[in-house]
Amino acid sequence: MLSERERKEALTKCIVWFYDSNVCTFYSRDKTHKKAQPNQALGIRRLEKMLMETFKGQWETAIIYENRRKGKEIAKYKRGVRIF
Amino acid sequence: MENKENQRFRFDFSTVFGNTKKYIDSYNTRQTQLTDKLNANHRATAEMIIRLYLKQLNQARSLEFLNSEDLPGFTTFNSSLAKCKGCTNRTIINHKERLKRAGFILKEEHRGAGGVELWVNPEVLGIINLPTCAVNRIAGIKGTGSLFYPEVKNFHPLVHELQEQKNINSSVDKSGVRPAHSHGLSAGTPSTASPADKATGTQEHHKNMGKNVASASDKEQSSTKKQEQVSGEAGRIFSLSLVCQFWEYARKVLYPGIILSDPEEREILNLIWASVYGKFRLKATEAELLDYHESAITRVDIVARWLSRKGLHWIPPPHLYFHPNNDRNGFKKTWQWYVKQQILKLEVRNQLLIQQIKAEWQQHQAGRGRFKQKTRLQLFRVQQKRLSQYRDESLMQAFHLCLQRSLHLKKLKDNAF
Repeated sequence: MLSERERKEALTKCIVWFYDSNVCTFYSRDKTHKKAQPNQALGIRRLEKMLMETFKGQWETAIIYENRRKGKEIAKYKRGVRIF
Repeated sequence: MENKENQRFRFDFSTVFGNTKKYIDSYNTRQTQLTDKLNANHRATAEMIIRLYLKQLNQARSLEFLNSEDLPGFTTFNSSLAKCKGCTNRTIINHKERLKRAGFILKEEHRGAGGVELWVNPEVLGIINLPTCAVNRIAGIKGTGSLFYPEVKNFHPLVHELQEQKNINSSVDKSGVRPAHSHGLSAGTPSTASPADKATGTQEHHKNMGKNVASASDKEQSSTKKQEQVSGEAGRIFSLSLVCQFWEYARKVLYPGIILSDPEEREILNLIWASVYGKFRLKATEAELLDYHESAITRVDIVARWLSRKGLHWIPPPHLYFHPNNDRNGFKKTWQWYVKQQILKLEVRNQLLIQQIKAEWQQHQAGRGRFKQKTRLQLFRVQQKRLSQYRDESLMQAFHLCLQRSLHLKKLKDNAF
């Protein structure tokens, strides 16, 4: 479970629409260790791994956004396949 | 007359030791892995073998006629070598294996109770100059590559490095992400434009210079610096274009279906910049960098061919494949493949050229072919001119050796008739 500060500092977030009509938001962990420089690509890879392995077969759509106001879409997944 | 001949084959210890050192050094420069190189222990064994062998040869010379082309081998016992060196028999056997692999010992014959007989490479003895198997070419190939791949292990520094020097709070983009807002969100600025910055460290120059007022000399320096920066700017764009071209090609060939977002792509470009192009630390000209770029592209092709072959060949995802610390299954390994391929190509080319030369001589002797009107000297000059265009020393050596051998064979034939 991420703290409020970690959620705020995360570089990306992932909104997932599950088959059971739940919608959840997950925030990325972008650091390899506490004092490391944040790495956005690492965060995205970790979110993708979560989608493809942890929640495999449980969601219909997932979108990864930049974690800021009006942040743009970075990646989109539909039924386990990356669209862009 | 025999004495005169024998005088010719008196082996000088210092010359042969020099040859031994040169041979082992050249072998070591050809090896990319530290474990493949001959270490000081192997060198000591080789020198001991040479010392004892020369002693035997010089003794044999005083007793009988020695033919340079058919020298006797070095007769010894493993146990006596081990005793002489102060190690076990097994160590001597292992060292001999390594020396055989290096081509220092050509052949070994076991004679049971009579010990072993070793034939040392005649190149070491200084009798003949064998073709060097494109050693110079390898050195040429390694010229650029060795700068990107250090040949020694990266040991920790002996002197303590101050933490402050590292400047952890530097704004230099190391991870491909630069915080733009107060809460550290990612900026849209691509770090692809920054590799050269990182290489030169120009972004940190303004920090803690310890000077408050700029003097006149400083102003002059700053103007020259600006000029350098202009040239550096062009170099940066050039190096960036190389990295981008390489990634585009590698993506097309190795990862055709992959979808990547901007931050991921930026990270991969940073990794390629670090691992494939060695952060452009090399002070090379544009032509040299382009040469290296071509070789990197060739390496990608080699990997693509390897993947398309039968079997379960695979490569990891790009962020792992191009990671500078990936020594296990990373792109770094393909450098060895490339060197091997280039050596093989050169060897095949040289062999074909030498075959052509041989055929021309045979035709000339039979009074046929397009050179039948020419004298032997003219034919030699034509061939020499043709081969010198390749600027390969080993090829020229092979050419001379081939001529000597063919002439020697002809003499033997004449004598037989």
